[in-house]
Amino acid sequence: METLKSIYEVTWFILLVAAGVAVLIGYLYSHFKFYSRSWFFPAALAAFPLLALAVFGGLLGGYTFKLWLYFLLAEAAIAAFFRSVVKGRHTVPYLMLAPAFVGLALLLVYPFIFEVYLSFHDLKLTTIMTWKNTGTLPFVGIDQYVKVFTTSPLSETTFWHLLLRTLVWTFSNVFFHVLGGFILALMLNNHIKFKGFYRTLLVIPWAMPQVVAVLAMRGEFHSTNGFVNIVINKLLAVFPFLAGLGVAPVQWLTDYPLLTCTLINIWLGIPFMMVVILGGLQSISSSYYDAADIDGASYFQKLRFITLPLVRPVMMPAVTLGTVWTFNNINVIYLVTGQAGGTEQADILVSALYKAAFTYNRYSYSAAFALVVFAMLFFFSVFYLKSFDAAKDER
Amino acid sequence: MATVQFKKIIKKFGDNLVLNGVDVDIKDHEFVVIVGPSGCGKTTLLRMLAGLEEITDGEIFIDNLLVNELHPSKREIAMVFQDYALYPHMTVEENMNFALRLRKMPKKEIAARVTEAANILQLNKFLKRMPKQLSGGQRQRVAIGRAIVRKPKVFLFDEPLSNLDAKLREEMRVEIAKLYQRLNATIIYVTHDQVEAMTLAGRIVIMNHGIVQQVGSPIEVYRKPCNLFVAGFIGSPTMNLLSGRLSIADGVSVFFNESLTLPIPAFVLPQKEARDGREVVLGIRPDDVLVEHPGGEKCSSKIEGVLEVCELLGHRENLYLKVGGQRLLATVEAFFNRSPGSAVSLCLNYQNMHIFDKVTERRISE
Amino acid sequence: MKKKMSAAAKRKRLNHLLLHTGLILFAAACVYPLLRIFSVSLRPGDKLVSMDLSIIPAGATLISYTKLLGDTMFLRWLWNSLLITLATSFIGVSLASTAAYAFSRFRFPGKKVGMILLLSSQMIPAGMLILPLFLMIMKLKLMNTYLGMIIAYSVSSLPFSIWILKGYYDTIPRSLEEAALVDGTSQVGAFWRIILPLSTPALSIAFLFNFTTAWNEYLVARVVLFSSKQYTWTLGLFELQGQYITQWGMFAAGSMLVTIPVLCVFLYSSKWLISGLTLGSVKG
Repeated sequence: METLKSIYEVTWFILLVAAGVAVLIGYLYSHFKFYSRSWFFPAALAAFPLLALAVFGGLLGGYTFKLWLYFLLAEAAIAAFFRSVVKGRHTVPYLMLAPAFVGLALLLVYPFIFEVYLSFHDLKLTTIMTWKNTGTLPFVGIDQYVKVFTTSPLSETTFWHLLLRTLVWTFSNVFFHVLGGFILALMLNNHIKFKGFYRTLLVIPWAMPQVVAVLAMRGEFHSTNGFVNIVINKLLAVFPFLAGLGVAPVQWLTDYPLLTCTLINIWLGIPFMMVVILGGLQSISSSYYDAADIDGASYFQKLRFITLPLVRPVMMPAVTLGTVWTFNNINVIYLVTGQAGGTEQADILVSALYKAAFTYNRYSYSAAFALVVFAMLFFFSVFYLKSFDAAKDER
Repeated sequence: MATVQFKKIIKKFGDNLVLNGVDVDIKDHEFVVIVGPSGCGKTTLLRMLAGLEEITDGEIFIDNLLVNELHPSKREIAMVFQDYALYPHMTVEENMNFALRLRKMPKKEIAARVTEAANILQLNKFLKRMPKQLSGGQRQRVAIGRAIVRKPKVFLFDEPLSNLDAKLREEMRVEIAKLYQRLNATIIYVTHDQVEAMTLAGRIVIMNHGIVQQVGSPIEVYRKPCNLFVAGFIGSPTMNLLSGRLSIADGVSVFFNESLTLPIPAFVLPQKEARDGREVVLGIRPDDVLVEHPGGEKCSSKIEGVLEVCELLGHRENLYLKVGGQRLLATVEAFFNRSPGSAVSLCLNYQNMHIFDKVTERRISE
Repeated sequence: MKKKMSAAAKRKRLNHLLLHTGLILFAAACVYPLLRIFSVSLRPGDKLVSMDLSIIPAGATLISYTKLLGDTMFLRWLWNSLLITLATSFIGVSLASTAAYAFSRFRFPGKKVGMILLLSSQMIPAGMLILPLFLMIMKLKLMNTYLGMIIAYSVSSLPFSIWILKGYYDTIPRSLEEAALVDGTSQVGAFWRIILPLSTPALSIAFLFNFTTAWNEYLVARVVLFSSKQYTWTLGLFELQGQYITQWGMFAAGSMLVTIPVLCVFLYSSKWLISGLTLGSVKG
């Protein structure tokens, strides 16, 4: 019974979305088709704002005259835009784009702008009820931004500390992803038996649901029951002299949480790089290697002068993506250290951001924090892509 | 079947003028080949007729009906694309009857038309296959079959043979020629290959840089190319073009440059065009360079040259000659038994001599 | 000559031996954690915590599985995840398929800006939009519901899906649609009858991508869902794995049940998935 109800609920929602798309298409189509008719402007102004009020009024705070006025102004602007700028051209592409565009505007652009709004106001646990009821918030200017750089998003770690940690985290992860991926890809790119079988096994960390993989790996780093410490203990039992060298079981999760997270994430990320690089390696024509053999190149010379330069164009976008993903990776860190009483020794910028919002309920503060992180990432990417383009042009 | 008229067609891509005032009239049942080097605008012209490209300016009529704003499917045309554009997810039969199904034609009629087209093109065995299971030539035939079943007013072919290898291309050329006799339809055929143009066309439209250079039957454009471009484009091997000047001595015009001096008889160059000192280009096809020929009335006086290279083609032979500093190509009957470096005498056939103004590039000879 | 050949062959054999050893080690490192979960899931209740490293433990039993299915709402969690994921993937792929077509085939003002916006949306930190989405869902009174989750997920993979699909559409020759236009379809008809059927591989990739993203999502679910009846499996498993060591067996059993089908689908489709990823990312 419950199952039926849930199916009904979801189906109903999908139909609603479909209806919404149909209405949107119809609305825009009328503008494309009739924008130049003399009757269209008054008709549109009379009909559409009223319809919008009827549909959205309840959602957006009552069927008020003010709301109708907003819709009227919006419709006037849209109709004027179609009349003077669009003029009925490019109907098909715009109509095909419209649903995705509206979806993105509502669920990506609007939240983004809302985040900006939040960052200049003060929304926290004490003000959220008034905001819920009245929709107003105290304006605080750039206070939140000042706080980002002066106070800690968690209980002690500062912004600058987090930034440093994030850079170390990102760099070490990406470095080992690429290195590991490259080595594995080179090994797989040979004519050996069971190649497909090895490849299948090697992509398992990527293929497993991340939540399962991370939680399972976290178990392996447990101080007494984890695989890592068990192996260390067994080694110590067999080779007692190792203890003299300082080898001992490690309290991974409490003493070295960041290292643990990094190890887990390296394990998770190598397969993706391996697959991408393997694709690049396989696309290199073997005649280059034949030519190099005739010229008398050694294995490492071939690697240096043929493989690396030819794989580079395939690798660069993957490395860019990988960098952004690693920088933004909350999952691993939160799943390893995020439970109640968890440590903050492993937090990087984005996980601190998540915790500031949802563990400490400092909403506006975290909004300002998020915008600062976004700005950093954005400028890094622009700079990086520019230099990549420049390198492309040189070739 | 129908007539097609292009009236002052202009096409711009941004600031780039692709077609500059194209005027062509195509009569009912005519096989017209539009030929020109790549980038001359010939494919653009065809696509505008099909309705796949917007018309910047000018008018296109099919059967005296203005089609500028008409959707491609309403123009009653069928098109064969360069890459065949067979729908990869449909069988040969579905590919062929797609247009008819779209028009909600009765099933019986569809089946009859597909069978008829399949018979003509010998495709009966392949109707249930997917395009990727066919060879290049078979795909080509399916593409043509897809056009035939529509019974359109005009057939458009966009470089249909350019993806086939040389041997298959010859076969398909003959098939298309046979098909034309059978269908007796209006066909507009675009190609960059002048051999296809010469062999298939009822009339040839030669284009360059977005301008129609000459319209005429194959024999016309071959015998009387109206300008330097057409002269150089049509005919294989290419026409010899010699730059020089005219001088008038005692009422006789003489062509001269550093390497040779040649009197031009009055039946080649009319009096009114012969001006002293006029810069001209003299064109003569390799076939009309007569080597070791007894000479005669229609032939120039002997010219002494040196044989540089011989190329045996089988029944003919290409001779690369040098007269002074001027290179000349002559095509003669095989076997021309001389070793390179030996001296040969040759003369030029006045009957097929072409003279062009160097500045305007227009033909000035008869 | 013969002697030299055998030397080369010997070296090749040695190389291959080394390669196999290396690959086996790496492969073991990749598979072993999964096998450990499997092993834990089979342990009897009193031996959950053990230093044992063998894969099939002594006294292996299925008790964890029966307890998981009987005592917890695991099936309900799976069902919740499935519904939410299917709905978001369906909405996401439908929206992406047409938008990508517009980007691939038409020239229109705003195209370049749109493409840049799509790319830069990838720079938005994952945690950043959770807060406003959470507040929006709260305002719409959709907390703790399927709809709230679907709304929060539906566009998250949209930019990437559009990118993948555009890359694929770009490889379909334009002449196919032109032939369809001449044959009598409209522009939209050509898309529907020619392009969509031809793009099934790319559409499946996009669907799979949407599916895995939503299926494995944890952070948004953590914030939007609070009653265990509405949990997705990620929340449920995290809860199980939590503090009580006694539930380890059930966590492991649940992990196996979730992982096996996902792994099968992934390995089955990995060839397309990878070509799709490179298509989307390498171009541009």
